[in-house]
Amino acid sequence: MNGMADGLVIAGGMVLLALLCWPRHGLVGRWLAARRLARRVRREDAIKHILKREVNGAEATVDGLAGHLQMPTRQVLGLLEDLEHRGLISFEGGRLHLRSAGRDLALHLIRAHRLWESYLSEETGVAEVQWHRQAERKEHLLTPQEADALAARLGHPTLDPHGDVIPAPGQPVPGDVGLPLNAADVNQPLRITHVEDEPPAVYAQLTAQGIRPGMRGLLIEKLPHRLRFWVDGNEHVLAPLVAHNISVETITDCAPQDLLDEEYLSGLDQGQRGKVLGLSPACRGPERRRLLDLGFVPGTEVFAEMKSPGGDPTAYRVRGALIALRKEQAGLVRISSLRPATP
Amino acid sequence: MNTSPAHPAADRILQSARQLRERLSGDLHEQVVEAIYADAARLAGRSVASPGQGALPTWERAVDRFVTSRIWGFPIMLALFTLMFWLTISGANVPSGLLSDLFIGRIYPVLSEGAIRLGTPWWLKGVVVDGMYLATAWVVSVMLPPMAIFFPLFTLLEDLGYLPRVAFNLDLPFKKAGAHGKQAMSTMMGFGCNAAGVIATRIIDSPRERLIAILTNNFALCNGRWPTQFLMATLFVGSLVPAHLAGLASAGAVTAVAALGVLITFAVAWGLSRTVLKGQVSTFSLELPPYRPPQIWRTLYTSLIDRTLFVLWRAVVFALPAGAVIWISANLSVGGTSLAEHLIGWLDPVGVVLGLNGVILLAYIVAIPANEIVIPTVLMLTVLSARLSGVGEGAGVMFELESPASLKQVLETGGWTALTGINLMLFSLLHNPCSTTIYTIYKETGSVKWTAVATLLPVVLGFLITFLVALCWRGW
Repeated sequence: MNGMADGLVIAGGMVLLALLCWPRHGLVGRWLAARRLARRVRREDAIKHILKREVNGAEATVDGLAGHLQMPTRQVLGLLEDLEHRGLISFEGGRLHLRSAGRDLALHLIRAHRLWESYLSEETGVAEVQWHRQAERKEHLLTPQEADALAARLGHPTLDPHGDVIPAPGQPVPGDVGLPLNAADVNQPLRITHVEDEPPAVYAQLTAQGIRPGMRGLLIEKLPHRLRFWVDGNEHVLAPLVAHNISVETITDCAPQDLLDEEYLSGLDQGQRGKVLGLSPACRGPERRRLLDLGFVPGTEVFAEMKSPGGDPTAYRVRGALIALRKEQAGLVRISSLRPATP
Repeated sequence: MNTSPAHPAADRILQSARQLRERLSGDLHEQVVEAIYADAARLAGRSVASPGQGALPTWERAVDRFVTSRIWGFPIMLALFTLMFWLTISGANVPSGLLSDLFIGRIYPVLSEGAIRLGTPWWLKGVVVDGMYLATAWVVSVMLPPMAIFFPLFTLLEDLGYLPRVAFNLDLPFKKAGAHGKQAMSTMMGFGCNAAGVIATRIIDSPRERLIAILTNNFALCNGRWPTQFLMATLFVGSLVPAHLAGLASAGAVTAVAALGVLITFAVAWGLSRTVLKGQVSTFSLELPPYRPPQIWRTLYTSLIDRTLFVLWRAVVFALPAGAVIWISANLSVGGTSLAEHLIGWLDPVGVVLGLNGVILLAYIVAIPANEIVIPTVLMLTVLSARLSGVGEGAGVMFELESPASLKQVLETGGWTALTGINLMLFSLLHNPCSTTIYTIYKETGSVKWTAVATLLPVVLGFLITFLVALCWRGW
């Protein structure tokens, strides 16, 4: 009996040992791999930050880096030494410079990040607030070949869902266009060019309010402590700090009143008629393609024919077909309402 | 993007293509679609004459208003489906009886005697005639008539254009559960046959909602399970109340089980769409086609060939081996007792905890090809394991009893109580789909994982609910 118990203990010990020390798949191996990955992620994040500062005409500083990476300054200095040792950056004249290997790596990271965000927005149902977080992880895992394959699969997109340019391989990444919303003039038609996805809390708030790149709007009022921003049919009151995350450019081809007069299909009452102006930029991926395929393209006449007994969905007559849309979807179709058709 | 220095011309073209593309504002796909529609509209405007503006028939609008109105929408729906089920259930009785008379009453004895006269070994005759033939004959005679009535009726409503209106009416509750209004159609089809219901989910074009509809279709009580429900309700629920209320109570019990199925459909859809299916693509669109006069012959043909025979064929393919297994399990002896009795002995403790018994669990395992043969299998196994003599047709031979009283007597000898009856009703709603449906789910999803989920989720739910019911029942 004793011999058997001993045997069991030894066998158990060996199994445990194998579980711990098995090359690559053992717990120790996994822990080491995770540590290596975490270090690499930190290095790559640092390089990306330096490139982003550079293309926006600003200088990367040790303190800025420490804030961005949420690391103590002393550790950042160690990290920078490591990066220099690896030939990715150099100190010249007391400044951080990217060397060409570092620049290529940073460009790849930005490209992979933006491609992955495009992929998530176009081909999955992953919630919008998750895009950035998932892409932050994925950018470190994609190889340049995988990024190219992904780009090909997505049809070589040029802009990511935040409105940022996806750099082609070997092409420089342009700086952010547009100016912060705080700097825009009141009552001037604007187009949102970019919604910054960091810090995540602010981005989540803007997403929840339905503010997306490509939308058009204007500032109604600008006070020191708040801004009233009218965008795509809704008015938002934003704190200046939050508004700073929105970049806009002015547009000249429409008057402020045109913007304020815009309506949405969901606002069309039963028996009313409207003309489609376009789809909201918030409508993306398969949802957008579906609506386009059904004929919700600019110039199409839409007639709200009947509502379901529960009040939702509503059936619309579009180009002779009767199509039922849910309220959320109808809220993505911009229209101008027409007078009831004369019999 | 291969920019090799050997082709300066190609480089230039690529370069200018890139520059041109950067100049495009907005989405390329969108602009192409817009251009296509603009072209189509121009062509149509030039060449299609539309006599009488707003040529839409006003009666169509009136009908639409009526069938989707707040007041009439739901009563019409309810009335139509009650009528459909009544026609199916009551209309199927006669042909079912005829078929069973033909296959089991006439052909079976001939085959049986023929086999004996030819000197076939008893085990071969048992496997082939008593096992495979009888199971298949049973499946065909109870499955074919209801499907041959239900599917044409269903296809008729579909053809007429009414079913999309039902989806339109019912979309709101389905939307709240994270599902698609069209699931109303596949669920209704599921009341006829789950395998056909799973195929019917093809009309749902959004991947996530389609998967939800497939995974929850089994909670629609299919045709094969209605007889079990009626029988158990009559035998065990009806007897719990005074005689003049018995009919009402048993009908109420069956309706309650079917309603529970619908409730669970919504609950599971809600849970799935918020957990495992969160990241799946989801879109919504529902076209309400114009009403059309139904093409009766085409409807009959397609519903009989595409649906009835298709499903029946799959059922037969699975019934053949299952019949053999049933017969072998009842006749193969290990240590003096049959395999079936051993299995019943092992399963019995689990069954008793769930307020069921070993016979029922074994019957659900071996009768996986079709829910229709569960009751005959249960009867055969009960007689076998209780060692009753003078009842039934022998080991491994399925049979049915005409009189409810003698049926109840057999079951009570097997240790059945009202709890067994009620829990069998619940378990009949909440157990794995039949093999035909499982195979269809695999075909439709192409995924072992989702097939496993669709198979195991109802069983787990069934165990949980029967266990709780048994606990409450015994607590009293």
